[in-house]
Amino acid sequence: MRKAKDYLAKILIYLSSFITVGVLLAIIAYIFINGIGLINWSFFTNEYNDKTYYLQFEANKLQLSDNSYKDNIPYTRNVINNDSEPLYIEELGGAIIESKKGSDIEFIISYVEKSSSMLEAKDRRGEIVGIKEGYIIRSINGENIEDKNLEEISNIVGDIQGNIELKVTNPGNGVFTNIITTLYMILLSLSIATPIGILAAIYLVEYARPGKLVSTIRFATESLAGIPSIIYGLFGMAFFVVFLKFSLSLLAGALTISIILLPVIIRSTEEALKAVPDSYREASYGLGATKLQTISKIIIPSAMPGILVAVILSIGRIIGESAALLLTAGTVSKIPENLFSSGGTLTVQAYYVAKEEANIEMACAIGIVVILLIIILNLIAKLISKIFNKANY
Amino acid sequence: MVDNNKFYIKDLNLYYDTLRALKDVNLQIKSNKVTAFIGPSGCGKSTLIRCLNRMNDLIEGVKINGLVAIDNTDIYGDIDVITLRTKVGMVFQKPNPFPMSCYDNIAYGPRCQGVKSKTDIDAIVEKSLKQAALWDEVKDRLNKSALGLSGGQQQRLCIARAIAMEPEVILMDEPTSALDPIATAKIEELIENLKKSYTIVIVTHSMQQAARISDNTAFFLSGEIIESDTTSNIFTNPINKKTEDYITGRFG
Ligand SMILES: Nc1ncnc2c1ncn2[C@@H]1O[C@H](COP(=O)(O)OP(=O)(O)O)[C@@H](O)[C@H]1O
Ligand SMILES: [Mg+2]
Repeated sequence: MRKAKDYLAKILIYLSSFITVGVLLAIIAYIFINGIGLINWSFFTNEYNDKTYYLQFEANKLQLSDNSYKDNIPYTRNVINNDSEPLYIEELGGAIIESKKGSDIEFIISYVEKSSSMLEAKDRRGEIVGIKEGYIIRSINGENIEDKNLEEISNIVGDIQGNIELKVTNPGNGVFTNIITTLYMILLSLSIATPIGILAAIYLVEYARPGKLVSTIRFATESLAGIPSIIYGLFGMAFFVVFLKFSLSLLAGALTISIILLPVIIRSTEEALKAVPDSYREASYGLGATKLQTISKIIIPSAMPGILVAVILSIGRIIGESAALLLTAGTVSKIPENLFSSGGTLTVQAYYVAKEEANIEMACAIGIVVILLIIILNLIAKLISKIFNKANY
Repeated sequence: MVDNNKFYIKDLNLYYDTLRALKDVNLQIKSNKVTAFIGPSGCGKSTLIRCLNRMNDLIEGVKINGLVAIDNTDIYGDIDVITLRTKVGMVFQKPNPFPMSCYDNIAYGPRCQGVKSKTDIDAIVEKSLKQAALWDEVKDRLNKSALGLSGGQQQRLCIARAIAMEPEVILMDEPTSALDPIATAKIEELIENLKKSYTIVIVTHSMQQAARISDNTAFFLSGEIIESDTTSNIFTNPINKKTEDYITGRFG
């Protein structure tokens, strides 16, 4: 009877662990299978929205500078198996490939010479936009090229005297803008939250006398850490976005994220400071060092690994945050121009494409990027604590 | 007060919150001599030695009354604590080098006092390590972490670190209790040499050690100094019965 119970318990335990691991693996597998098809170089370098321009430039013949063209074909982007070989056109100073996507055929600029006049191409208002690798050609001087082939295009271009005007599309479906926004968000939030958090922790551990005030602050930070981020988002929206009139912006987002990060940074920094042996403090004071010298020369350097780990895990937190940012920084897929521009981070973009555009494939592709980033950050954090734990005490 | 007193302690009481750890302590500590504090553990030896450089200030809830004077100056009144600690260095029970290079460990104190010149600091480091009989062992690894040294070397490094401040007094709280006999012997030899230039106060719970290295000895029991005299008197001719019992190993 006892044996049977033992056996049953064992089965339940195995089953539970199996379910946990299984579910986790299933989620990751689902995301990878759905998203991996989108992931290639241009996924990271393209913006999300495609843009179409009419761009003009002067046709002057430019030799291909790379002599090893025949063996080492200088096309660089957008190359998939069913693309044609590139054809270099001297009038353009660049090469084109014919790319089949299902039943569609697209002509894509695969290579641009450094001194090509395409790079100086202007739109109809005279502003320089430039035609770059990866752009899709739609028409040439008004002539539709959908049913042409590469040779014919070369001939059309060759016949043109004077200016060439191409209708080109800068392809979208990438996350470049979201990566940049995420980076901005990380830098901005950390530069707000880290100094404040570290100073607060130093105050709590090194200066404050234990008592009501300190325990209140501690209780507050602990409770704050447990509040779901959507609540912070609501506060950020009401206070930063509406009341302070920051509108949906990087700044409002970063401030909100900073509030979310503060308790985490304070707690971990406190732990790191407390882990510094008192014998270091005694030794320092015993040598006639002041409190400030002791803190800045001995305690903070000794606590640095712990603080660093907190910062790295905070980066993960920023990358993973969606609810709060959705409400404070918005979902715009454009590189923010200043602190008051709106911008969606990677995670927000994943939400946006899944919810608003039902583009599960792209959401999963972003998911892959986010998962990998978080894993890498966690590994770095582990590594740091491992190295320094050995080196230190 | 007699002139060759470094410290003059009068009616000193110390409380940890409500616990009275020192009771009406009266003691004079002579210049350029080694004074040993002996007594069973928990009797207040560390507490008293930590009064001499105001290390107890760091502990929450400590109350002190009475007089501790260094060179006829009240250390709790007329001298600021930083200056006091540069005059009175301390070596702790467990070697506690900072997690930095040997060189930086020694340079730490002088740098905190504002010494900047590299040549000055180089000279201080070399001189201190030589005085602490450690120079030959570490001169080739000055820039490596001090944590890589053996326990005995670490403790001598801590002594060198204290010496680098050019103190007048070095306090040592059971400096050899974490060391093996060979390392202990080296430190004792070092103390022998240092007493020419410094006043040394050492806490020890090894009576043999006190007998070997000290000139004067104070015997503590539950926060009181039972007897203080020259070491030879304490060990051969104790006046108090309790001292005699302790010396002869009947308790403690
Ligand atoms: N930081 C402290 N807080 C409260 N009590 C202490 C503290 N340090 C020492 N004591 C108490 O003071 C008494 C003397 O301790 P101590 O001076 O360390 O003894 P010794 O060094 O002779 O072994 C002991 O009863 C000890 O428990
Ligand atoms: Mg002690």
